[in-house]
Amino acid sequence: MPDSQSTPAPERSVALAIRKEKRFRPLGLTADSAIRRFFQGNAAFAILALVLIMVFLLREGAGFFGQNSRGIRVYRLAGLEYVDIIKGQLDRHAELTRAANALRLKIYSDALAKGAAPQAATAALAGFDAFAEALGDASEDVRSLASDLTEQAAAVKQREQIYQDSIEQKAMLIRAGKAGAAAAVSSVAVDFGREIKALSASLPIYKDANRLFAKKLNASLAMAGPQSVPAAWTPQLSGLKAAAERYAATFPEVEAELAAWRYDAPVPWYRSVTAFLFGRQWLTASFWQDWYGIIPLFIGSLLVSLIALLIAVPLGVVAAIYVSEVAGTGEKTWIKPAIEFIAAIPSVVLGFFGVAILGQSLRAVSETTWLAWVPGFPMSERLNAFTAGCLLAFMAIPTIFSLAEDALTNVPRHFKEASFALGATRLQTILRVLVPASLSGLISAILLGFGRVIGETMVVLLCAGNRIAIPDFTQGLGAFFQPVHTMTGIIAQEMGEVVPGSIHYRALFMVGIVLFLLALGINYVAQRVVQRYRISIG
Amino acid sequence: MIAVEKLDFFYGASQALHGIDLRIPENRVTAFIGPSGCGKSTLLRCFNRMNDLIDGTRIGSGRILIQGVDIHDPDVDVISLRRQVGMVFQKSNPFPKSIFENIAYGLEVQGVKNRRRLEEVVEKSLRGAALWEEVKDRLHTSALGLSGGQQQRLCIARAIAVEPRIILMDEPCSALDPIATAKVEELIHELKRSYTIVIVTHNMQQAGRCSDLTAFFYLGRLVEMGRTEKIFTNPVQTQTEDYISGRFG
Amino acid sequence: MNRNPFAHKSSGSQWVERLVFGLFRAGTYLILACALAVFATIFWKGGGTVFQKAAPYVNWQFLSQSPETLYVFQHEGIKMELGDREFRAFKKERGLDAIKADTYAHSAGGIWPCIQGTFWLVVGSMTIALFLGVSSAVYLSEYSHGGQLVGLIRLAILNLAGVPSIVFGLFGLGLFVHFMPVLAGVDDPSVPSLPVGFGYWLNFSGWGVCLASGWFTLALMALPVVIAASEESLRAVPKGFREASLALGATQWQAIRTNVLPYALPGMLTSSILGVARVAGETAPVMFTAAYVMRDAGGSSGLFNFIGQGVMALPYHIYVVSSKIPQNQYTERVQYGTALVFLILVSGIATTSILLRTRMRKRYRW
Repeated sequence: MPDSQSTPAPERSVALAIRKEKRFRPLGLTADSAIRRFFQGNAAFAILALVLIMVFLLREGAGFFGQNSRGIRVYRLAGLEYVDIIKGQLDRHAELTRAANALRLKIYSDALAKGAAPQAATAALAGFDAFAEALGDASEDVRSLASDLTEQAAAVKQREQIYQDSIEQKAMLIRAGKAGAAAAVSSVAVDFGREIKALSASLPIYKDANRLFAKKLNASLAMAGPQSVPAAWTPQLSGLKAAAERYAATFPEVEAELAAWRYDAPVPWYRSVTAFLFGRQWLTASFWQDWYGIIPLFIGSLLVSLIALLIAVPLGVVAAIYVSEVAGTGEKTWIKPAIEFIAAIPSVVLGFFGVAILGQSLRAVSETTWLAWVPGFPMSERLNAFTAGCLLAFMAIPTIFSLAEDALTNVPRHFKEASFALGATRLQTILRVLVPASLSGLISAILLGFGRVIGETMVVLLCAGNRIAIPDFTQGLGAFFQPVHTMTGIIAQEMGEVVPGSIHYRALFMVGIVLFLLALGINYVAQRVVQRYRISIG
Repeated sequence: MIAVEKLDFFYGASQALHGIDLRIPENRVTAFIGPSGCGKSTLLRCFNRMNDLIDGTRIGSGRILIQGVDIHDPDVDVISLRRQVGMVFQKSNPFPKSIFENIAYGLEVQGVKNRRRLEEVVEKSLRGAALWEEVKDRLHTSALGLSGGQQQRLCIARAIAVEPRIILMDEPCSALDPIATAKVEELIHELKRSYTIVIVTHNMQQAGRCSDLTAFFYLGRLVEMGRTEKIFTNPVQTQTEDYISGRFG
Repeated sequence: MNRNPFAHKSSGSQWVERLVFGLFRAGTYLILACALAVFATIFWKGGGTVFQKAAPYVNWQFLSQSPETLYVFQHEGIKMELGDREFRAFKKERGLDAIKADTYAHSAGGIWPCIQGTFWLVVGSMTIALFLGVSSAVYLSEYSHGGQLVGLIRLAILNLAGVPSIVFGLFGLGLFVHFMPVLAGVDDPSVPSLPVGFGYWLNFSGWGVCLASGWFTLALMALPVVIAASEESLRAVPKGFREASLALGATQWQAIRTNVLPYALPGMLTSSILGVARVAGETAPVMFTAAYVMRDAGGSSGLFNFIGQGVMALPYHIYVVSSKIPQNQYTERVQYGTALVFLILVSGIATTSILLRTRMRKRYRW
């Protein structure tokens, strides 16, 4: 600083003093603007961070679709798809057999309940048992053909895999400058056309086997006369028979499908995307074919979140109303921090609590007889969607509570006073004035609670049961008590075991991208709700 | 000293000042009066460009000259400008530091480190603000321990420590009791010998007592400006008369 | 007789109101009861591991040793339960070669490396988060004058706060573990690299699973919390301080440095402790980026070696012992013990933060 500033010079003109002085300015920056830039840069880091998150999720995840597309192409080229058509037919047959067995069990336990001796009950079902056995064995020939074909196709697929690996190895050797070694690597491309010929040559054999299958099926149905079951069960039996007949009627379709199937039919480009977004199977490390369908995980996450919100929203909102409108000041001063303190419990501790205590206790409760009317009770698994949902609800309550409490206290006082002045009771004021006025705040509280719940990892990883399957919604609310797997859980569970760069690794990143977009979406909607609320008040 | 030419000033979309034209002479006390929201504080804060700090403010047209230099000229350093144009705020705002540090602050940010010189300036400024006798024994205690009137005089001392040529006062006595007000007014009277003072006030009597010139603002426009006695006794505009006689505002 | 128009009406509506408020109250207390149940269970069951009846009342071995495998075996008719080291010493002492023993991973010893690892993770990530967070807050509340950039920054912070922790973990894995450049004397052919001269290359091979990767991942997670806390503290400093400084000819940075930051900093630090609780409590981001199942305390010396290696962490250890190893009566000790220590740590931090914040708010009134 020039020292002319420090000596008083009244005669010195202001006009001169306020002129900028020639100072040293590297890059045209004064010290002050450089500092400003520094802070600005640090603040902009938040944007950078968000962009980096997107970039690196995409960078690791984007390759998934290409790899998945190749996987699906090989699935077709090597004939796995062809074999799966037959397997599908067999799966439906297995379902039929299961239905027959379930019916037998029902009839049998009904007979026992009516006081029949076990031997007598079994004897009475001899006719049915013969039918069921014949039904089960009907598929024999097709099944053995399918198992031969399975081996064939799997072998083709494996040869293709070896070929791809050898190409990669060559490329790596060439990059490392070892052309000689690269040439020595043997690599034989798989001639899919030839391989498939062997496969599709089996079509006549299949047709024969299928005819036999249909014949045996019909024969077994003929065995199931009306006297094979007690009269009360005839409708069920004829239902089963009708299903079997419908099933038999699909055989020509399967044959036509097989005949029309072509190994070199192009796989549409979107197939890999739809297989991920709408795929109903998440099947990894299988010898046959891996599937990366997010639907079971997505539904698992939604189911667990739904349970959590069903518990947390009423409790959180009720507690918010109680604390902000009903409780006395003494109660208020400790309840509020106490509930907010719950947020500090680490999720892994809650997850551990679920594994160690809650799962067991909930199952014990579900086994009591007076709760037997609840669908899904008694729970078959200790760790299931409900166990995880309870704990997540507990985690979401502080979030919902404090945001809802804010929304309620932010309602202008005169709304409340006006209501009281008109002679409304406290309850009426709360329900008719306060809750509607703060509704959008409450909704955004619930949304943010949802965001917290669906993104939570440790609790669901430890307590949701980790069974990758779409819950059986035919059981109604019983689906709440089935084990599920979730999007967050699958990442945490499988990421440690996958090879970086593999399709499985990339699939997990894709799941992460879905989670990320979901979180952004929830945030966006919550903000829109709050904004609209502000406008309506102003 | 200060010349305002056809100044339009905006807060976002709303215009706060409309075509202000006025001249403020050197070494005089000029009072800005008018009802709340008439733009007198806004104009005052233009003189040291404090409005730069408020988002969405801008000069629409016109200019402000200090000794002939447009203060919005890109060639003007706003920091140096503020050293030349000091300011005292409505609410006394001493820093939560000692009295000494408060006064020395303006010099310290200029890079003055010499302890002797700082002590000199502190004493001189406190004497200038008629506060020396009251605080000389507790220079190193917190300024927040002073009374309201003392705090405001401390703020004046702090302002004159950097030796500005102009001092802007934004309702300096509005939060003070009558005795403290009288002391500050006395001080203003003393100060005008060495400084050009512009004071915004709500208090008619205060404007009458301590200013040489008075400007009356109404709804963002300068209604009338002239010698204080004339404005108070024989205003040209009826609006001015109505306001001064207390019929509105 | 005149009827009093203001008399209490013993109509049904009052009963309904009382009933509904009773239900509200019951709901509120149900939440608190659940919280109490969780705490009580863990204290009750973990207390046996962490505390002891005789002086010094705390089981220092559990706190100061590394996790070990537990050996359970019959020796001369007595059932013995020994940790790994003791077991080996025992064998040596008795000259026994083969003892048939059942082994239980992680069930003996203590959790010292986990405490240490969590400590370092928190210290490093909070340092980074505070640096970035405080300077972002200074920019947002002191320098910025609205505009698109600020809108964008605020939007980014808001969204960053909503990103699930596991996504942070994935991001940390993708960027820090697998991508960040490492300075080396050779050009690694398997990854992209950038020559920097003097015979050095930046190999984009990633930092690997290490403390540094964990630091940056957790710091990004804590960033929104720290920024919010810092902005609140900055807003609490009266506008008059800034105006007075500027009117005295201070530059903006001088005004901030001398008359804003000193008064805001204590508040920033205490409120940011809440961020510490969040960082310390998270498992998902750490499990891919910094945490190992087993790692000895101490380890190699030197700063780069130190931040370049993975650590054990309390939350990850709880996950490991409660789901990755077979469950039996011997694992319970370490499970509840670790959970209790962790719970005490995190809730202690949270309580400190809440208490300090209330005190600060009372103290700084201008």
